[in-house]
Amino acid sequence: MHLLLGHSWDSCCAGVLARLEARGLPARIVPAPLTAPARLVWRLDAAGLASRLNWDDQEAELAGVLVRGTGWLDPAGWDPTDHAYMQAEILAATLAWLAGLPCPVINRPSAALWYRGRASLLTWRTLLRSHGLPVPEQLVTNDPGEARNFGHRLAALGVAGAVYTPLTGETGYLVATDAGWQGLAALQARAPVCLSEPHGAPLPACIIGGQIVWDCDPPPEARALEPRLCRLAADAGLDFLEVVVAPLRRGLAVVRVDAMPMLEHYAPPAQNRILDSLTALLAPATVSYAAPEAVP
Amino acid sequence: MILVCGGLADGVTELVCARLADCGYRYRLLDLAHYPAGYRVVWHWTDAGPAGVIAGPDWTLDLDAITGVYARFLGPEGRMPREGDPEATAALQFEADAGLMALLEDLPCPVVNRIGGGMSNNSKPYQALLLRRAGLKVPATLVTSDPAEARAFQGEHGEVIYKSLSGTRSIVRRLGPDQLARLAFLHHGPAQFQAFVPGRNVRVHTVGDRVFATRIETEAVDYRYAHLDGFDVAMKPATLPAAVEAACLRAARDLDLLFAGIDLKEMPDGEYVCFEVNPCPGFIYYERHTGQPISAALADLLNGTTPAGRLEVRRAMR
Repeated sequence: MHLLLGHSWDSCCAGVLARLEARGLPARIVPAPLTAPARLVWRLDAAGLASRLNWDDQEAELAGVLVRGTGWLDPAGWDPTDHAYMQAEILAATLAWLAGLPCPVINRPSAALWYRGRASLLTWRTLLRSHGLPVPEQLVTNDPGEARNFGHRLAALGVAGAVYTPLTGETGYLVATDAGWQGLAALQARAPVCLSEPHGAPLPACIIGGQIVWDCDPPPEARALEPRLCRLAADAGLDFLEVVVAPLRRGLAVVRVDAMPMLEHYAPPAQNRILDSLTALLAPATVSYAAPEAVP
Repeated sequence: MILVCGGLADGVTELVCARLADCGYRYRLLDLAHYPAGYRVVWHWTDAGPAGVIAGPDWTLDLDAITGVYARFLGPEGRMPREGDPEATAALQFEADAGLMALLEDLPCPVVNRIGGGMSNNSKPYQALLLRRAGLKVPATLVTSDPAEARAFQGEHGEVIYKSLSGTRSIVRRLGPDQLARLAFLHHGPAQFQAFVPGRNVRVHTVGDRVFATRIETEAVDYRYAHLDGFDVAMKPATLPAAVEAACLRAARDLDLLFAGIDLKEMPDGEYVCFEVNPCPGFIYYERHTGQPISAALADLLNGTTPAGRLEVRRAMR
């Protein structure tokens, strides 16, 4: 049985499910694998680690897990405080369970990845830099004058405006007008903002088990980044990683990194290649999988 | 110059500041009870690491001049109330903290501790896997949503305790008849049970490559709450077997924690079992009871004068 931890409306889960079923492999999309009616038994003792998950009173013999969610607990019927506690408990149990499974888990999460969710580019900078990957200039400031100076300096270099992206969000906003800068200054009175230099047309790529699938045929400069992008994913311990590159005034740079790639960012041919690669990684035709280090 | 990020009303942060002053190490306090109000930050990332300044009420600190950072983030209860919609205020505070955390991740100096390193503390069983890999013994642990398995575990081990799986603080309690009667509630989600480990509690603080072990004598199951059960607590400095000490240092290093509080128990047969690693230890309790120079070692680390501090600089500069 292959478990796709996520929702049926996630095109990645749905696509992998269809491919596994086409190969005659049992698979199931489950948004919350550790809540009722499932029964988890996870034991760590002198004999080592052993875990068992029962569904419908039958043990789920897991051949692989695709992680596209964290095991959300429906708040309906819960007191908010109790729900927050139980959600934290289930998150903690799910992380430990996934970490110790003796089957392929894509992506097998680290605590940092599990609890930080979709980290901002700023959080990835150290790792990107250590692999020699170019990144855009960024400024975090609560000083409106410094924010304006950042915009003026970019303007002098022929770049219009700056992009404001909340560090805890994903949507970026181009700030290029007086009204925009005034709005930003109002926000800065409450918290520092993160500005980035604007970039050109984004070109997303998925790194899947050391292979790269570009959304469309990439330019040679993008191809030249491939070995470094693969090393980045490997160093981050991720089998499935999305990296978006885009032209900046100084050349191509990485403008976004996401450990939860979205299929919707790709045209159908690339979507199919991603799903094929992901399915092959999750359910290899020839099994030669090494159990994780923590499991004796 | 050392940067301390914390609340001055927090006793641990207050002690760190006092020790830095006592050692003659210069520091600046970014008071998280108020931050970002009253502070000016300009952090600029180009191809290299961050550059820029943090300015407080009467000081300005260049990021380049920071030799070490001590960070102890505050919950909502530690923050000064701010005007405006509570939800928007909380979101903006979260945004301000996220920026500071990102900066600390990327500063090329010792940071006690970077956020990523402490995340394992949010899942005790996950952390147990890492501790075991570092060479520390961990108690027999069961995480289950199956009442029959919980009963069988108790039958196998006799005395069993239960505690939270997550970072949510809970009082460790013995599994008794009252709790057994409520095991049916496990269908809501799994809980964590552990074989009760007899012996004496030992708290270890690793500071860079230095180790301070404190033995705790009490009859209470959870010594942190001994007073609630009417028990006394006594503490003494202790010496660990070399292999245990090395495993503690390895665990802290594996978790990327320059400063860690490690909870051990010394069993009657002399074996040591590890319960968890705290990435932001409230070490004041142990230092005051024993006089162990934990804060002085921390001050040295932040000042960049200890071997681990220098190693950290090289690691981050790669």
